[in-house]
Amino acid sequence: MSVEEVAQKLENVSVGEEPKTVLSDATEFEVKHPLNTKWTLWYTKPAVDKSESWSDLLRPVTTFQTVEEFWAIFQNIPEPHELPLKSDYHVFRNDIRPEWEDESNSKGGKWSYQIKAKGTEIDELWLRTLLAVIGETIDEEDSQINGVVLSIRKGGNKFALWTKSSDKEPLAKIGARFKQVLKIEDDGLLEFYPHSSANDRFAQPSIVL
Amino acid sequence: MPKYTIEELLQLKPEEVKPVNFDAVEFKALIEKVKQLQALREEEYHNHNHHHGHFNRRRSSHHHGRPKVNKHKPKVIVDEEGWATFEPKNTSAVAEEPEEGETNSNGDKKNRSTESLAQETVKIKPNNKNISSSRPADNKDIIMDKQIHGFNTFAALGNEDDDEDEEDEEEA
Repeated sequence: MSVEEVAQKLENVSVGEEPKTVLSDATEFEVKHPLNTKWTLWYTKPAVDKSESWSDLLRPVTTFQTVEEFWAIFQNIPEPHELPLKSDYHVFRNDIRPEWEDESNSKGGKWSYQIKAKGTEIDELWLRTLLAVIGETIDEEDSQINGVVLSIRKGGNKFALWTKSSDKEPLAKIGARFKQVLKIEDDGLLEFYPHSSANDRFAQPSIVL
Repeated sequence: MPKYTIEELLQLKPEEVKPVNFDAVEFKALIEKVKQLQALREEEYHNHNHHHGHFNRRRSSHHHGRPKVNKHKPKVIVDEEGWATFEPKNTSAVAEEPEEGETNSNGDKKNRSTESLAQETVKIKPNNKNISSSRPADNKDIIMDKQIHGFNTFAALGNEDDDEDEEDEEEA
């Protein structure tokens, strides 16, 4: 076997061993990019019958642990502008339920922002929020984020970032990044409501950015 | 802890739609069904409002002026000579009563009827209790009220005298 033949063989072997990524092969890629934690997608169906309770309407759809699984799900579900009114998408860490009563949520709260954007604009903002949350760039220091919610409403769609605590210092940093992700301008106000005041109809935000 | 920026994650987005580990078709069908139901309800609500709309609603207080009150038009009497005169309410009511002696005591009877009318007007004099507003229109009304509600012996005696006088007159 000549040197050239050996070199050729080695080349073939090395090419064969190289794992296919999404960048090298868009359809048959093998390498998956793990996320920090498992995430669950929940959906709240709008009530069409008075007998339906909250527990009947809120259902987990699926879970994902890698970037590739996330994209597969995202491409297979309706975009926000296609959802009926009074629908909610929730993406929550591990098995945390998107409810105040859940042990992981009970001491926390939510950053909330209502926006009148519709159509593709709301789709883009929802995608940016999801990517910032599952990529863990919205909360670089500590895992304060429990989940994120998008509520489709007639008066304006609402984004909410649920946190596990109500501590002002880490929340202020998260809120500032959330404002960037949602492209909120200086005159727009982001409000934080602790879940302890969730039953109070006239509750005031504990932090405003 | 693996971290990805928004840009990095966007670069990892595949061009083709990959299969998922749940029934996406069923999920989409559920959402579509809810949308159809909502559209039907919206249409039904719209049609209902269009056909029945404001006719089926209670009258609001700020879309109309004063309530319409049918004022009684005065009756017009045309006599044989063709003169048209308004028929006064009070005289017609009083005139019906004394049918017995119309010959030469008309004058007396008129006086008597005016007296009785005057007494009646005193009795039904409006005060702040029988008009709608509870606020007295004038300070004098407050004094009037007190006089009316307080029992005044002399006034009571005076009324009896009046009654007796009336009876006397009638007897005469």
